[in-house]
Amino acid sequence: MTPLPTAERRPLSDRTFGFLLTLPALVLFGAIVFYPLIGSLTTSLFEQSLVQPGREFVGLGNFRAVLDDQFWPVLWNTIVFTGLGTIAPFLIGFALALALNTRLPGRALLRGAFLFPWVIPGVVVSFAWLWIFNANYGLLNGILVRLGLIAEPVSWLGDPDTAMYAVIIAKTWASFPWIMVMLLAGLQTVPGVLHEAAGMDGAGVLRRFWHVTLPHLRGIIGIVVLLEIIWNFQHFDTIYVLTGGGPAGATTTFAVAVYDTAFKGFDLGRAGALGALWLVLLLVLVVVYVRFAEREEQS
Amino acid sequence: MTATVHAPTQTATTPAAVPPPRRRRPGNLGAAATVAVIGVFAFGPVYWLLVTAFTPNDDVFRFPPRLWPEHFTLEHFANLADNAVLGRYLVNSLIVSSLTAVLTVLVSAYTAYSFSKFRYRGRRSLMSLILASQMFPQALLLITLYLVFSAYGLLNSYLALILSFTTFTLPLCVWMLKGFFDTIPNELLEAAKVDGAGQGSVIHRILLPVSLPGLVATGLFAFIRGWNDFIFALTLAGPAKQTLPPGLVNTYLGEFQAAWPDLMAASLVVSLPVVIGFAVLQRYLVAGLTSGAVKG
Repeated sequence: MTPLPTAERRPLSDRTFGFLLTLPALVLFGAIVFYPLIGSLTTSLFEQSLVQPGREFVGLGNFRAVLDDQFWPVLWNTIVFTGLGTIAPFLIGFALALALNTRLPGRALLRGAFLFPWVIPGVVVSFAWLWIFNANYGLLNGILVRLGLIAEPVSWLGDPDTAMYAVIIAKTWASFPWIMVMLLAGLQTVPGVLHEAAGMDGAGVLRRFWHVTLPHLRGIIGIVVLLEIIWNFQHFDTIYVLTGGGPAGATTTFAVAVYDTAFKGFDLGRAGALGALWLVLLLVLVVVYVRFAEREEQS
Repeated sequence: MTATVHAPTQTATTPAAVPPPRRRRPGNLGAAATVAVIGVFAFGPVYWLLVTAFTPNDDVFRFPPRLWPEHFTLEHFANLADNAVLGRYLVNSLIVSSLTAVLTVLVSAYTAYSFSKFRYRGRRSLMSLILASQMFPQALLLITLYLVFSAYGLLNSYLALILSFTTFTLPLCVWMLKGFFDTIPNELLEAAKVDGAGQGSVIHRILLPVSLPGLVATGLFAFIRGWNDFIFALTLAGPAKQTLPPGLVNTYLGEFQAAWPDLMAASLVVSLPVVIGFAVLQRYLVAGLTSGAVKG
């Protein structure tokens, strides 16, 4: 039954074979990720249109133009969106995780149900909130008018002063469930013995939270917050469908600005320059994340 | 997301046998109140989406809106069924997401096997490279992808969508499958080699059949990610090949007056496969979450 080992049986060492197995993915990835990334960064040095062939080398001209014009407001919008869009869902997700980590009846079911806003497609999140924020028939205006908090319906997404907050609320709604699940998984690894010991020493709920729960969750909190920051920093779907970056650029983040510059303004050079600056900032965040994750893995 | 992300997986997949700490009654009341308040925020929009989808136009377009529905209708779903364009978007979504899942699982299975069971120089760097690539912003990749697909006449093709979707499904699937393969004992594969099986038959006769549940789960995650994509399908395909998310945006928004109830009904329809998929995937959820199964 068992054939004798032949000379051909190991023409390849395990190492070589192991490496060869990755080739299909590497070739595919080179073609659709690494080449496009480098290609897009290269356009930052050229005057190039999306719809016309040919391009002209302009050195750092695009960077100068972008830094004089769009970059700073876009950076500020991205920071506001990323900052508030991380803090708000984190607080909600953490509070919910703590609440669901008790002996609340039906908590397994609730945990599943709370995932809904995060599970549904990003455009559906935007549709639901577009409708809620609608100036004429929206639910939010309806409730606020009935409660007497506002006299007239407000155009939440049409006003530069409120649009960003409206977008952040929608994004918060879609983000908090993921944070809740991750932190709940972390909470379930906190040894109950620690809590009991602290409780017997007379530590109240708040002190036990501060001295037992929080230190135990440090690693997972860091991972969750950093990943959420990285994702928000490049988020596109919710913003684009809700406001398209408007009104008057009030919600234009890097993702929207690069997209619009390339595919509505057809200016690939400026889009590339803006994208390159965006990528540098993103890489800083990724490095922070990787360092943190490696340190957590070791400890 | 990167090679180092499995720190949370470890903590997450080892739920302690210890029951949650006993709380006194005030604690439980606080928990219930927290769940109730966040529940209003979480389920209010879902409720409103459902109510709008089943309410006649006359009741929907009035201000202030009625919080409790009075009349019930299925006309908005009938409108969807009558709209041939939406049917085409649906078929496109099914085709593109399915083929993306198949291609991704095929390619990533070999890579994940390599990462899981072989040791060679550069392995860790390759892993980091593939997994970190999820962090590259899509809008930036899109510039060159558009030019390349345009140069090869691939704009408006399923292939362009499938290839562009692979940029985000492949890292995810490599990562998830590596996790599955890690749980398959080396002895099983070694035993087959001792019995004379070549490297290829070890993969195709032993590894893949044994990992079938993992392959299906991973494929389903890839399908969901493809189904949810917006930016690539919006840009690389026109109406003939577009998928549901950009298709719905183009159909219902940008009009002078949006048909909100129809859009809410369509939202329910486009969400359904994803919700079912996640219900099926419950047990793989935490592994999927930490590998960035659905990007936030």
